[in-house]
Amino acid sequence: MSHSAPVPDTLDDAALVAAYAPLVVDQDTAPYYRGWLARELRVARCADCGHRFLPPRPGCPVCWSRDVGAEAVTGSGTIHLCMLLHQGPPAPGVDYAAGPYPVVTVELAEQAGLRFTATVVGTPPEDLAVGQAVTLDWAERNGVPHPVFRRTPGSPA
Amino acid sequence: MSLLATHHSGRNPLKDRVAVAGIGSTGFSRASDRTPLANAIQAATAAVRDAGLTAADIDGIVMPGEPGGPGPNVVASALGLPRVSHFSRTAPVAMFAFADAVHAVFSGACDTALVVYPYMRLPWASRQAANDPFRQHMAVGMATVPESIANAAGYAAWASRYLAEYGVTRDAFARVAVNMRANAARNELAAIATPLTIADYYEARMIREPLGMLDMDLPVDGADAFVITTTERARDLRQPPVLVHAATTGLVAPNDEDQLPGLDHHGQHVVIDALRARSDFWIDGLDVYCPYDGFTVITAAWIENAGWCGPGEAGAFLAQHWDEASGRVLIDGRIQVNPHGGSLSEGATRGSGHLREAVVQLRGQAGVRQTPDARTALVTTGGFFFNSQGATLRADD
Repeated sequence: MSHSAPVPDTLDDAALVAAYAPLVVDQDTAPYYRGWLARELRVARCADCGHRFLPPRPGCPVCWSRDVGAEAVTGSGTIHLCMLLHQGPPAPGVDYAAGPYPVVTVELAEQAGLRFTATVVGTPPEDLAVGQAVTLDWAERNGVPHPVFRRTPGSPA
Repeated sequence: MSLLATHHSGRNPLKDRVAVAGIGSTGFSRASDRTPLANAIQAATAAVRDAGLTAADIDGIVMPGEPGGPGPNVVASALGLPRVSHFSRTAPVAMFAFADAVHAVFSGACDTALVVYPYMRLPWASRQAANDPFRQHMAVGMATVPESIANAAGYAAWASRYLAEYGVTRDAFARVAVNMRANAARNELAAIATPLTIADYYEARMIREPLGMLDMDLPVDGADAFVITTTERARDLRQPPVLVHAATTGLVAPNDEDQLPGLDHHGQHVVIDALRARSDFWIDGLDVYCPYDGFTVITAAWIENAGWCGPGEAGAFLAQHWDEASGRVLIDGRIQVNPHGGSLSEGATRGSGHLREAVVQLRGQAGVRQTPDARTALVTTGGFFFNSQGATLRADD
């Protein structure tokens, strides 16, 4: 992944599906990937009871309301799970031979148990650990923004 | 996280009413040129003959939806089963198909069910398989992007949590791996018997850190099969019946790999709760113990959740019950843990090997690895997310 010029924040459905393949974009997940285009991390939120959840699904698992929409989160949180891939699926900009590729599941600040999985940039993989504070950033792959995390400056190791 | 909101009632009308009457296995290999269908037929015919039955006696067939494997209709046709009144294809991992067959026999959907588990090394699972031209059409099951902990990666991710939350080293994982290898050396069906030490474990190549080569089960070709019938009928057949005392699967919400409530609340907890409620015995006085080991962290979790020790204490527990002479675990100097070598060393059977070993032990047919006077067994297959399962089995009185 690398930073480059901003991309258009609107694409038609076919272009959106193509841009984020092999991730699965469908009627339920398109608003979330449109969020990525706008560099905004969104989670599912129930309009009736306020519960937030991931992955996005078209009904609330707490109150069974079907009035669920995509809502932005800050993307700040804490590393809950931390895995270093020494080999794995091929992806543009990922070179396992150059060193392990970190994949973290971050518990987001907005709600206990609400988690999002992405890579971490800006810190040597061996310095990453469960419990560290991170914030959201964006990097490009296939010409469209993808969420990444960064260690929060000044946070304890 | 919160405790389970509800606990199982303990209702278990099928207790001891259905039995394993036959078993068959091809044994397991890391370099075979056989198809899953060839292995399925070999194991199935061995299991039916082991029970002293023929094709005409089998009126049920259940198979897991194993990637690359044939369906129950294909195997029924290949075996010439003349009349089948129950057939189904379940999710992979052993208990889905085993429990379905038990339920079908108990309900009367069929009288005698054949359960067949063929396994094959898919192209992504080994270099040798990737280079096999006959397997090129089976390139399924691989993660699509690195930034995901779906499927197998979920165990490495949660292993990081296990180590951090409990403040422990990988010693529990190391002892699980070494134990399985030592046990596999006593099992002629096992795919690998090269001796392994704790030092070897720590030197092994990392794959998905904190898990490495020796934390992951061994991709193999081969098949297991079981014949399931009523206990009443099994008593008239060739082999000593092994009674299904209780069998269950377990699931919580959310069960998505990265949203799982926690190490203290997942499918294994439902399984343990349901099995304890439905069984007349538990780990006190247990004879045969087969916890799943598709990844080493799964075994550590099963040991803790079954109640052998507290959360995070599997490493200390295994060290305390380590038999230096044989380089493996003997709980209380007596109970082997996966005497067949488990998925790590017999081969990646997704739990059918664990079920088979419990049957062999309860029949008293395990040879050099036989537990004396084995009467009760606990088998816990599957992992944390959407395939936690278990069964208690016992010898007939």
